[in-house]
Amino acid sequence: MGSILNPLYTAVSWVMITFHDLLSFTNNEDLQWSVGIIGLVILIRIILIPLFVKQIKSQRALTALQPHMKAIQKKYKDDRQKQSEEMMKLYKEHKTNPFASCFPILAQAPIFFALFTVLNGISQNRPHGLLKGEYLISAQQASFFGAPLSGTFLGSSDGITKIISIVLIIFMSATTFTTQRQLMVKGMPKMDSSNNMMLQQQKIMLYLFPVIFAVTGVNFPVGVLIYWSTTNLWTWGQQYYVIKRNPTPGSPAYEELQRKKIEKGVIPNPDEATSGDTALEEPKGQRKQPKKKKKKR
Amino acid sequence: MKKFTLDLVNKYQKYISVGRPQKCKYYPSCSNYTSLAIEEFGAKGLLMGLWRLIRCNPFSNGGVDYPSESSRDRLKERLSA
Repeated sequence: MGSILNPLYTAVSWVMITFHDLLSFTNNEDLQWSVGIIGLVILIRIILIPLFVKQIKSQRALTALQPHMKAIQKKYKDDRQKQSEEMMKLYKEHKTNPFASCFPILAQAPIFFALFTVLNGISQNRPHGLLKGEYLISAQQASFFGAPLSGTFLGSSDGITKIISIVLIIFMSATTFTTQRQLMVKGMPKMDSSNNMMLQQQKIMLYLFPVIFAVTGVNFPVGVLIYWSTTNLWTWGQQYYVIKRNPTPGSPAYEELQRKKIEKGVIPNPDEATSGDTALEEPKGQRKQPKKKKKKR
Repeated sequence: MKKFTLDLVNKYQKYISVGRPQKCKYYPSCSNYTSLAIEEFGAKGLLMGLWRLIRCNPFSNGGVDYPSESSRDRLKERLSA
């Protein structure tokens, strides 16, 4: 297993060492190694941005398919299998698939595993990739707010390591929680009753994830916890940006943005635009509120 | 071995992927596909599942893709169960 991952060890350690060396002017080994890990996350996530943008773009392209999708939902409303099949066929036909795809998630696992091994190697004095010799010794002594990067909650008797681990685990849980909640409350189109079960499961997971983090996190070196926390923070920020600036059509955040745009006069008010035609049938007076779908939560 | 891998996929669906937004570009999803394939083809099915995972990448357009003709009905049974 080790030999297959060797190139990854080299890559991971190279990035860490490069960031470490770039900051050598600070003369602060603790900062240099911590930034090495954070830099690794940022680099990976920057590389992944084009994929993310591509996915968002295809999600937005769905607006044009909305009538087709509604028709499919109506036609096969009692057969979810057929409904999903027809949806997928529609996406394929229009070469626009809103889903992120499975492989990138799978591909990230070895990177995470490699980082885990490299950081674990520091504590056990085992060199991995380019992290050897003087670098290994200096990394061994580096700490994050007083907690050694290679220390774990369970593996150390040191109080500060335990405290920093707990703080990072709480931070990881909190960011995951808010990211998921943000998506559920604001970012997703409102669900119909057929998806209610999924929503229920989602709610359970929302509260279960922090528990899972707490159980697994106590075995992870502080360096891995930093990596994980940074990734979560990035994910949250990325999602926050998208929900604010470019929300999924049909989601509460989208309706909010449309309302703001109407207020600012960026886009015409659909109700006012049609009011000329409907004036005869509808008594004028109160302005009609933008259409609001029934809430089912 | 067959039971173990099927169990693994099942555990993944039950504890890891549940409650997360859909990622898969295909129908059935990669995990459902893999589980159907292993059920029918054994070790070859596992390889089919891995190949499907590789195909499910940012450059593919997804679509409907079952491991076999008969697996569609088996999935239907699972869904209605």
